[in-house]
Amino acid sequence: MKNSIIFLFLIALLALLPACQSAPASGGKISFMVFGEPAELAAYQRLVDTFQQEHPEIQVEVIQVPGQSDYRKRMAADIAAGSPADVVLVNYRRQAAFASAGALTPLDDYLAKSTTLKEADFYPQSFAAFKWDGKQVCIPQNISSLVIYYNKALFDQAGVAYPAPGWTWADFLSAAQALTKDLNGDGTNEQFGAGIDPELIRIAPFVWQAGSDLVDDDANPTTLMLDTSEALDAGKFFMELQTAHHVVPNAEQEAAEASESRFLNGRTAMYFNSRRVVPTIREAAKFDWDVAALPQEKTAATILHADGYCLPSASKNKDAAWVFIEFANSAEGQTILAQTGRTVPSLISIAESPVFLDPSNKPAHSQVFLDVIPTMRVLPLHPAWADIEDTATQEITRGFYGETDPYDAMLRAVQRTRDYFTGK
Amino acid sequence: MISARRAQIFALLAPYLMGAFLLVALPAGISLYVSFTRYDGVSTPVWVGLQNFQLLRIEPLFWVALINSLIYISQAVLLRTLAALGLALLYNQPRRATGLYRAIAYLPTVIPDTAYALVWLWILNPLYGPLNLALRAFNLPAPAWLTDTRWAIPAIVLMSLFQVGEGLVILLAGLRHIPRDLKDSARVDGANALQTFSAITLPLLSPWLILLTVRDVVLSFQNTFTPAYIMTRGGPYYATYFAPLLIYETAFDRLRFGQGAAIMLIVFAVTIFLVLALYFFFESWGFDDD
Amino acid sequence: MIERTRRIIAAIPALLTRHLLPLLLTTLFLLPLYWMLISSLRMPGQPPAIALEWFPAAPTLSNYTRIFQILPLWHYTLNSIIVSITGVTLTLLTASWAGFGMSLLGKRARLRLLLLSAGLQMIPVTALWLTRFLLLAKIGISNSHLALIAPALMGSSPLFILLFYWTFRRTNPAIFESAELDGAHLFRIWWSIALPMARPALMAVGMLAFMFYWNDFINPLLYLRSQTLYTLPVGLLHLQEMDKTNWPLLMAASVVMTIPPVLVFSALQRTLLWWELE
Repeated sequence: MKNSIIFLFLIALLALLPACQSAPASGGKISFMVFGEPAELAAYQRLVDTFQQEHPEIQVEVIQVPGQSDYRKRMAADIAAGSPADVVLVNYRRQAAFASAGALTPLDDYLAKSTTLKEADFYPQSFAAFKWDGKQVCIPQNISSLVIYYNKALFDQAGVAYPAPGWTWADFLSAAQALTKDLNGDGTNEQFGAGIDPELIRIAPFVWQAGSDLVDDDANPTTLMLDTSEALDAGKFFMELQTAHHVVPNAEQEAAEASESRFLNGRTAMYFNSRRVVPTIREAAKFDWDVAALPQEKTAATILHADGYCLPSASKNKDAAWVFIEFANSAEGQTILAQTGRTVPSLISIAESPVFLDPSNKPAHSQVFLDVIPTMRVLPLHPAWADIEDTATQEITRGFYGETDPYDAMLRAVQRTRDYFTGK
Repeated sequence: MISARRAQIFALLAPYLMGAFLLVALPAGISLYVSFTRYDGVSTPVWVGLQNFQLLRIEPLFWVALINSLIYISQAVLLRTLAALGLALLYNQPRRATGLYRAIAYLPTVIPDTAYALVWLWILNPLYGPLNLALRAFNLPAPAWLTDTRWAIPAIVLMSLFQVGEGLVILLAGLRHIPRDLKDSARVDGANALQTFSAITLPLLSPWLILLTVRDVVLSFQNTFTPAYIMTRGGPYYATYFAPLLIYETAFDRLRFGQGAAIMLIVFAVTIFLVLALYFFFESWGFDDD
Repeated sequence: MIERTRRIIAAIPALLTRHLLPLLLTTLFLLPLYWMLISSLRMPGQPPAIALEWFPAAPTLSNYTRIFQILPLWHYTLNSIIVSITGVTLTLLTASWAGFGMSLLGKRARLRLLLLSAGLQMIPVTALWLTRFLLLAKIGISNSHLALIAPALMGSSPLFILLFYWTFRRTNPAIFESAELDGAHLFRIWWSIALPMARPALMAVGMLAFMFYWNDFINPLLYLRSQTLYTLPVGLLHLQEMDKTNWPLLMAASVVMTIPPVLVFSALQRTLLWWELE
């Protein structure tokens, strides 16, 4: 008994040894750039604060950029200026653009030497999404996906059953219809059954659920597949939510009050987003709410949302930056972010622990995020993906707001993105 | 002695000349070079000759942005000049309240662009914005403004019409230079107000109008950036996608600095062309009466 | 009686242009500011009013405290003030130097510089910003306030230099010449004789330069990475990104950002707008 305690103690010492050795070598200042709303940023601030206590030799400056598209441009400008932040949080849909330009440091060597980070401890889907050209360019913090946040009070009021596992498009539509209401009797709706952004990343799960692929070849994509008959069906269903059924706000209504605000203000019943809105909803929602999986059609499917910690090649303090990346993705770091509600941890052990699943922390059914992992699909990695996505989104938006018919929108999205795939 | 004086004059001018070289001439030179290269901001630029320009010729977004910019400029410059002219004529008479009227007419020009864009985003909100609520109160048609492809540019032109303070000042200065007795003698000759205006005021004002419109053309090119960035992000469906936004996104979203520089050069060439066209237009028209 | 009616009818156009039209236009020009102000006083989260309201039913100042909680707006304001004041001071120096220098030149050199200034005025900043950005980054002053103040090196705008140039050209050159004959250094003459005479130009350029630096959105967006350096326009953008339809909050921040230029304008507008009225 006594021996084993000494043995454990020795092992602990051994584990600490490399950390002690490397500590003096990696001091100094680093900057860490993140995107997100105030509640999300508070989450990252907690992570940084804890890190500072354990690593007083490294000072971390947090740079926050609220909008994702501003964030991307900020990063590009910084990289072009030769002075990017030392640690940047990048979505996997954007990593290829930076990695292919050689702007990110491959982390394989750091990983091989690390005693805290093991690839096997992470969900493989999420880890693989941050490889480029065979190299690991970022460490994923999460394995989030598109889900539905629903306002239980509105469901109760309307006497509609909560979304159940395995529910279908038809179930979803009829629930949304029952939850869309003209509250003040002026002839237009103020409460909507659903709120969803008309974007490629939102329509993608519907395309997969209908039984189509999104691109012709995931490893080597050359075109979008939005012109298959299944994808066209999905596009029609998605766009008719607005144009035919009016269960989501039209362009004017969305401009007056964005769906996220409308949900927080208690007038959207089902809001589509990834895990990242949880801190904001926890802070702002004054009603009871929960999460549900997406409805399904021919098959169930959802879409991976993941952000990774990356180390720009131009960073001047890579060792200290790696110490931070390592900490952020250690069990301790991932626990902190999971507690704030921001992430679905990419570390399997934390994701399956009460830290993430505790039903007393809303949403009560965080398990949904883990249940959908087997049916999760991943967007292809392509340097021009931002262009492809933006262009397709423009067409989808047009169809969604009834400026053109769904088939035309889907076909145009395919045509207009083709050149970006081939890198003309 | 003389050379010492020259050295001193040169010292007075040095910051300006240095700035003009460092901030204008040098960047312009680099733009010229970069526009012939493929450059992602990270790796070294690769010379590609005219490829950037050839690709732009078949890039639909480039044409959309250029045409949008030209549509905006033609509408905004014309209407803004007319608005400034009207205000200047109205507020030219020295009267007690005139100073206050001028100050208030200038006031919207003082609002910072970002705040101004946000305010108008609210004013133009199709459902709850004060403008449409007012239009509906009078039973007038209330367009969806920034969410309607046909009304988005007119909406941005409309908001630019409230910021004509600088034009007002320039034209007031011009009107002050017109001798009063010239107008008086015209009136004695029996000319009515309209005739005096077209025969005397307008020709004498034309140098100032040239200054104003030329300046407005140059400014209108770049001034579309803030409204497009804050209010519409170029939408709906590229309706407000202007050249500056395209340059910005080409460089910082698509990491194509070479192509961005090529667009900058084209914008510059188009501006010069417009300025020269305006100059010749005014020249022929201003000297008609002589 | 008939004579009186005719006189009244004859007076109608004058009445229109002298009083009615100016009053109408004045109301129109005040509306954007007015709407900004009253919208900033609404309680957030309420469904927006569906009828035109001239004053919110339950006005609140809470939006103003809230914006300072969610973003370090004080810090941004301070940065804006630092950038604007240094920018204005440097601009007044370099622009008045250049304008003074130009006014002293011989005819040919003067014409050349006038053409240069007019030419510079023709180049849209849009045609330069990418490479200017790359250049300043290579010099190593991106992500610093220096990058925002850089235009002050060339007097911020050729227009400002021309304003000073015209002012000095209009004054009697004999005044400068006699001072020169007394052996005074040109910088001394600039400081003790030229500048005091150029008060109106100083105030006009000072005001316009203040607006230029205070309003600057593109440069901070392009150059600044560190949050500790952000100026108010970036703060406004970030606030919008956080909740793009929280109008009361956005309007409150807009009001905060608009107050300083309105104050500066109120203090200095007389020189710009009232000259011949006094």
